[in-house]
Amino acid sequence: MTENKTYRITLRPTHAELRAAAGTPLRDVLFEQGVEFPCGGQGRCRGCRVRVMEGTAGINPAQRERLSSEEIEAGWRLACQCTVESDLVIELLQWDAAILVDDTVFAFQPRSGLGVAVDLGTTTLVAQLLDLSTGRVLAVRTALNGQARFGADVMSRIQFGVADGGQRQLTEMIRRQIGGLIEQLLFAASLTCAEIADIVLVGNTVMHHLFCGFDVAPLSHYPFESERTGLARLGARELGWKFAGDPPVRFLPCLGGFVGSDVLAGIMATKLAESQNVQGLVDLGTNGEIVIGNRERMLCASTAAGPAFEGARISMGMRAATGAISEVTAEEGKLHCHVVGNAAPRGLCGSGLVDAVATGLELEVIQPSGRLAGGDAQWMLAPPVALTQSDVRELQLAKAAIAAGLRILLERWGNPELHRLYLAGAFGNYINRASARRIGLIDFPSEKVEAAGNTALLGAKLALFSLDGEDGSFQEVRRRIEHVSLNEDARFQDVFVEELTFPQSVHARD
Amino acid sequence: MTVFDELQQAIINGQAALAKELTKKGLDSGKKPRDFFPNAIIPAMDEVGRRMRECEFFIPEVLIAARASRAATDLLRPLLVGDEAVQAAGVVVCGTVKGDLHDIGKNIVAMMLESAGFRIVDLGVDVAPEKIVQAVKDENANVVALSALLTTTMVNMKGSIEALKAAGLRDKVKILVGGAPVTDAWANSIGADGYGKDAPAAVELARRLAATA
Ligand code: B12
Ligand code: FES
Repeated sequence: MTENKTYRITLRPTHAELRAAAGTPLRDVLFEQGVEFPCGGQGRCRGCRVRVMEGTAGINPAQRERLSSEEIEAGWRLACQCTVESDLVIELLQWDAAILVDDTVFAFQPRSGLGVAVDLGTTTLVAQLLDLSTGRVLAVRTALNGQARFGADVMSRIQFGVADGGQRQLTEMIRRQIGGLIEQLLFAASLTCAEIADIVLVGNTVMHHLFCGFDVAPLSHYPFESERTGLARLGARELGWKFAGDPPVRFLPCLGGFVGSDVLAGIMATKLAESQNVQGLVDLGTNGEIVIGNRERMLCASTAAGPAFEGARISMGMRAATGAISEVTAEEGKLHCHVVGNAAPRGLCGSGLVDAVATGLELEVIQPSGRLAGGDAQWMLAPPVALTQSDVRELQLAKAAIAAGLRILLERWGNPELHRLYLAGAFGNYINRASARRIGLIDFPSEKVEAAGNTALLGAKLALFSLDGEDGSFQEVRRRIEHVSLNEDARFQDVFVEELTFPQSVHARD
Repeated sequence: MTVFDELQQAIINGQAALAKELTKKGLDSGKKPRDFFPNAIIPAMDEVGRRMRECEFFIPEVLIAARASRAATDLLRPLLVGDEAVQAAGVVVCGTVKGDLHDIGKNIVAMMLESAGFRIVDLGVDVAPEKIVQAVKDENANVVALSALLTTTMVNMKGSIEALKAAGLRDKVKILVGGAPVTDAWANSIGADGYGKDAPAAVELARRLAATA
């Protein structure tokens, strides 16, 4: 018996060489490489597809249900359903995530020492080390959230958390990972033994609870409200971190429902709470957070758009990495596709998806109902990348969720004139604003829409400089924000269904 | 084109006012209320289901077609009371499970089932197992259709089935489950009788299972 036999696994296109024992789940091997498992490895989402170029990987019923026979024939597998049974050369559909790191200049009141700001995202983590006397960023580290192997969205994470011992596992994992990131920051700045004065984290309510070790069960079902949403003060040592001086750690307070301190940080970063005019802040991520308001009154909500803008559930969807079509335009009826890295086209990322549909509407290849003209099953953009009918439907669902959320918040506020709309997060930087308007996602003139970058991280840095120790401004602003639970709004369904169709033409609506 | 053909077209096109008018016209010309179902309404909604399957129709088109169908059935139902020859295809208790408020999919399923001739008892959203048990008893239902859109509320389908078992009603009803995170394997594992990936599948399943219930 040759127990503990190990096999060699080569990854394309990175050429990484790995070894794994026979029978190891491919998921564990690939996860270490940053591959994501959107549905938590349940074989439902196809997000973890890999192509086996050499060697063999077994097929099971779950894969047969989700992959076509052509795909199986061509070597495609769901990595989450396979184990290592031979030497393998596999091609990854996903690439390293391009993570947005904030480098905006901000106003600050100097204090002494080192500070760390962390944006604890469901998908990605970003941490910065700052010199608090100058406000200078000394080092930056990013990583994929290690919890992602237990599901891409917050609900899958909660589901894992409420199961036996799951919560503890998730809590320990994220604390360890962030502790490691901070160590790396110190190492990168050659300050390994230096004292840190202050650590601030922001994230949505689920990330807040998992990091702080609060029970996520109340967040698993209606009405999705937890008692423990306040500012959490922890010590480095109780988190298992060994930093000189045992620095205080603050996780900023949540706003209600799933809307967390990343949005509060965004409000601080964009100065929305000080504005006389009414402004908006939208994060086009999976949770689709929206804020509308001014210094008098602020409303916030999350709309559960799903991950379509991140390329998930789109047949040839991928992140904005090499090979992704990121822009689509038409000139005299002829299509132009811009491909990231000027490589051969391999897939479609969120901004490309929005562009493609906007262009399709202009060319009348796509009808306002979302139907592909002529009843075609797909529209070829740049071989082999095509937009399918079901991709358009997925986009319609995501777009309608955001547009309906925006409309309802604006109505609740009293239909004010919106002076500015900030787009937070990576996608906000890449999306073409005219296209977003053409598909009815963000129905505002381009000049009013502004990409605001990683406002969560910027806000976390601002919190490092709130000196009164009571986090005065943050706590005070938080009290002025009202959380609207869209699932209790009787009109949501009607507005959502109205927003499922695309506008006839933008000009008609000005 | 007969008035039935015209009505069928009006429903498919989602023209509620026209559907109502054509129903009146048909009744005035002496058509029997019960004949509207096999000759216009059921084939119309089957066609809507087919177009939905082929991606030609999406949620808005399906909803407006269902609204047109309802414009016709609202006129017909009162006239059917006491008509011995008319029997509902079955009685369906439906709802979104406890903890979950998503109801767009459930509503579409309910409307399609209704147009297919089932009597629908819609319990709404966030439905506790006890409510399902009560409704099955009160309405003498033979089908239970459960919807869930959240990974965390899917488990409540199981709770609902357990409650029906505990009440001694499990053998009296066929249980259908659906919603985006639900799979065939999940349906089997909780002991449901069938899983439908969309509303047309729900109709097919309900027809098949109600016939054996
Ligand atoms: C609209 C929507 C909402 C609306 C719901 C409005 C309403 N009245 O239903 C609002 C904004 C209120 C909402 C809230 C939330 N949502 Co939501 N929502 C969606 C969204 C965008 C579309 C769902 C939908 O209506 N689809 C269209 C219908 C027609 O499809 P369907 O329901 O699947 O139904 C079809 C089939 O499944 C089948 N079917 C359905 N039921 C049944 C039953 C039977 C018996 C059968 C046979 C067949 C069948 O037939 C239907 C028609 O063909 C999805 C994302 C997406 N892109 O899908 C997220 C999504 C479902 N929501 C999600 C989440 C997390 C939430 C919230 C928890 C988040 C929050 N921010 O507060 C809350 C929870 C509310 C609650 N208590 O339930 C997640 C779930 C993730 C997970 N892994 O569980 C999703 C997937 C988005 C995401 N990835 O983040 N949501
Ligand atoms: S199918 Fe493998 S992670 Fe979803």
